[in-house]
Amino acid sequence: MRPQHWLYTIPLRLRSLLRRRRVERELDEELQFHLEQKIEEGIANGLSPKEARYAAMRAMDGLELRKEEMRDMRRVRWLTDFLDDARYAIRSLGRTSGLTAFVVITLALGIGMTSGTFSMVDALIFRPYPVPHASSVLTLASTTHDSNLDNFSYREYLDIRDKTNSYEGVIANADMEAVGFSAEPGATPRVRGGMMVSGNYFHVLGVEPRLGRGFREDEDQVPGRDAVVVLGPDFWKHEFAGDPAVLDRTVRLNGTEFTVIGVAPERFPGMMIFGHPDFYMPLAMARVFSTNRQKNFFEDRDDRELSVRARLKPGTTLEQARNELVGLAKNFEREYPKVNRSRGAAVYTQFEARTREDLNWKFGVIFVILALAVLLVACTNVAGLLLSRARARTREIAVRLAIGAGRFRLIRLLLTESLILASLGGLAGIAIGYGVVEWFQSFQNVVFMTDLPFSIPFRMDTRVLLASLALSALSALLCGLAPALQSTRVDLVNALKSADVDVPGRKRLWGRNVLVVAQVAASLMLLTASFLMVRGFQNTLREGTSFAKDHLLIASFDPRLVQYNTAQTQQFYKLLAERVREASGVESEALTQNIPLGLDDFDAITFVPEGLEMPRERENFTSTMDTVDEGYFLTMGIPILDGRGFLASDTADAPRVAVVNEQFAKHYWPGGHAVGKHIRLESGAGTLVEILGVAETIKYQSIFQKPIDFLYMPLAQHPVARMTLMLRSSGDPLQLVQPVRDVVRDLDANLPMLHTMVYEDFYMNQAVNGPRIAMKLVASMGLVGLLLAIAGLYGLVAYNVSRRTREIGIRVALGAASSDVLRLVMGKGLVLVGIGTVIGLAMGFGLEQLMNSMLFNAGGVDIVAYVIVVPMLCLVTMLAAYVPARRATRIAPTQALRYE
Amino acid sequence: MTKPSDLVQGTLDLLLLKILVLEPRNGWAISQRLKQISGDVLQVSDGSLYPALHKLEQEGWITAEWKRSENNRRAKFYSLTSLGRRHLEREVANWSRLSAAISHVVRLEEV
Repeated sequence: MRPQHWLYTIPLRLRSLLRRRRVERELDEELQFHLEQKIEEGIANGLSPKEARYAAMRAMDGLELRKEEMRDMRRVRWLTDFLDDARYAIRSLGRTSGLTAFVVITLALGIGMTSGTFSMVDALIFRPYPVPHASSVLTLASTTHDSNLDNFSYREYLDIRDKTNSYEGVIANADMEAVGFSAEPGATPRVRGGMMVSGNYFHVLGVEPRLGRGFREDEDQVPGRDAVVVLGPDFWKHEFAGDPAVLDRTVRLNGTEFTVIGVAPERFPGMMIFGHPDFYMPLAMARVFSTNRQKNFFEDRDDRELSVRARLKPGTTLEQARNELVGLAKNFEREYPKVNRSRGAAVYTQFEARTREDLNWKFGVIFVILALAVLLVACTNVAGLLLSRARARTREIAVRLAIGAGRFRLIRLLLTESLILASLGGLAGIAIGYGVVEWFQSFQNVVFMTDLPFSIPFRMDTRVLLASLALSALSALLCGLAPALQSTRVDLVNALKSADVDVPGRKRLWGRNVLVVAQVAASLMLLTASFLMVRGFQNTLREGTSFAKDHLLIASFDPRLVQYNTAQTQQFYKLLAERVREASGVESEALTQNIPLGLDDFDAITFVPEGLEMPRERENFTSTMDTVDEGYFLTMGIPILDGRGFLASDTADAPRVAVVNEQFAKHYWPGGHAVGKHIRLESGAGTLVEILGVAETIKYQSIFQKPIDFLYMPLAQHPVARMTLMLRSSGDPLQLVQPVRDVVRDLDANLPMLHTMVYEDFYMNQAVNGPRIAMKLVASMGLVGLLLAIAGLYGLVAYNVSRRTREIGIRVALGAASSDVLRLVMGKGLVLVGIGTVIGLAMGFGLEQLMNSMLFNAGGVDIVAYVIVVPMLCLVTMLAAYVPARRATRIAPTQALRYE
Repeated sequence: MTKPSDLVQGTLDLLLLKILVLEPRNGWAISQRLKQISGDVLQVSDGSLYPALHKLEQEGWITAEWKRSENNRRAKFYSLTSLGRRHLEREVANWSRLSAAISHVVRLEEV
């Protein structure tokens, strides 16, 4: 039909749809008129009125059938049928409102949990960057033996930017970092999160500033020349109350004056998943910020602090870009062998980059799998219920079939019912999904105990909503199709004869049995999975951290915020440590670059161990490291197993020393003593460092982490700018806050104290409560699954009883004992539970392997979990079967026989 | 009248549209008029007439209005739309071509 046609016919179609009765009546009226005219003609031709009428009606015979034809012509047939079916379905569902409510709730739980957990996976992996044409934004990374997503240095970035042809633009940014911010001169600086970016950042990404402008290319050319800053949208709202006059204002970042030239739009909270920078600075101003003071940010090719992204040129393929970058990396290797040996490069799509950088997505995937299992159990429940309902309508279905309804038409009718259930469940499920997301969001402060702007970005995005809707539709199909198919395959004669017909034949029950088995299996898998995770988590917690967590106050410092050089930084820390030790209530003090289980990444060190044969492809090894002072091991309560810790005598002039952990020692010098051995830094010709102690292995980055190699260096010999002070107090750690503030103020009134808190609080939130929330989620899913399975099994047995009431009555009348009846009714159910258990065990086992490979729980099958869960499930399901079965034994034979 | 085949169904549409060119008519009047102007050769059965009219209405070629007939009874009057007029022109042209071709073949001495 051509478009003009449409305009004519739409009003007509609408009328056919909305005014159906009127349209039908009009047709009748029209035909009536025709009939009367015909009768008149007959009379005019000489027939009697009666004859005329008879003749006319005969001539117009068969019009009823044609009416049907005409209805079809109106081409809204499928819609009107659907509306009819829907009305009918709603009525019949309303009649059994309790059952309907139960079904809707179970579906809602399944869909809700799945969409809620999917929002997590969506935020971590799928959500596109908040920029136009996000799919062409690629991540470029440096690769080594130990890492496939490493940063580039400034010089490397410039080379990539200028020497490649595959990209429309290449941008770079440093990690978001703590920056001392003050809006007015003379105000005490507060710590906010800033991010250094290249001059073309906003332009290449296609981000149009809300106010003012982004950086110009030339503003990033000369180091230190252009002190300009672009504000983040939230920061502008909170700090400047959204005042447009903020443009051209001067603010102070780390004590240096910067001019505000623009504000980023709401749409652009940043490219990171969890962090939202308060403001952006040009890379050229790196000296003002927290870059590595040991190296020259702009010159040293091994000062790798930048993440690089690029927009692919249209017409260039990913393959081409990859090859080009690999080639460039090889050039680097050739031209700068010292710093680029064995370093490659890779180009990643957003998906690839996300799955390499943030590992929480693995948790997310497991959650989604579990939620889907809940949904599966819910669907099978619903399917079983629908099957029972359909069974009860056998006669009605038979009648419909007999008078000519097509089988397909009937299936549509039954599917409509499940579609309505699924829609209601879906809507409620989406509401529950929002609830789950809200629940996640409420833990923002728990998970991110920091001064920097981090937040949890899980949301019910369009993608998630669409996924939920798709799930609902799928559930409808899943739940409704099997019952619809089965119940329309009816032997008409028998069905019409009696209301409740038990069509003989084993094939009939097959569907129902599969449902029960699927339910038991799915809920068993859920239970074992949640049991395993919770137990694993508790075990890990019980293992503890191997260091003393109590009575510790922590506070962080970064003298780069006040522009200290290395010497000043070292002096500051030396004095800080000395003076703080004198304060009352301080039992001992420690300085460390990273606190255990903290949010920051640990440094890594490359080295060559003495006396070891290096494998051919490797230049050196890498280990995680920390820089600490001499009070560290004592204050943290970390035992030194061999040799000694650091002393005040390990100064900058003394021979270089290091302490390693047990894991490290065993790794490189198995069976021997690490104490007294040496390593060389960077390469075989690097600085010689002596190992003078072996410390116990503790948990460094996360309590779920497997033991890793670790090395400590003394602060006096390895200057580091950002350090955290840890004080062990005799009393309440919070009492020490003021004394420490006083000491710091004496040393420098402008230096901010960051992240001041009691370590135990931090540990509880960071390491414990976070995962505990996850465990709660998993446990609740397991529980829901179990409840649903119980309900399903109960339903099955109860249904069986009602089906066979007459038969049971006869048996009892003939002398069957209660036990016989029980066996009869429960027998089948228990067999199904058995089969389901076996399958569930297999699935649970598989899931456990998956979890082990993705997550923490080291090695082995946790037998205890299975030993507890399996009997529990069997017991519970047996009980579910027993209750209706027992009722069966109480059936009075006379009643049963009367039942029809 | 023989049952309308596919070919003739299209032709029926053509006839009905033509009859409505001059003035709006109701179903009964249309069938009477067709009988009249074809000299009783073409008669359309009631079972074919109303479905055909219905279809024409659904296609948007005719439109309907309830009016009073000559004997003051309510009836549904159909009239041609501009879309219908254009369709009629096309169909008339097609029909001319078709019937000329058939006549030509049928009149051949040798095939």
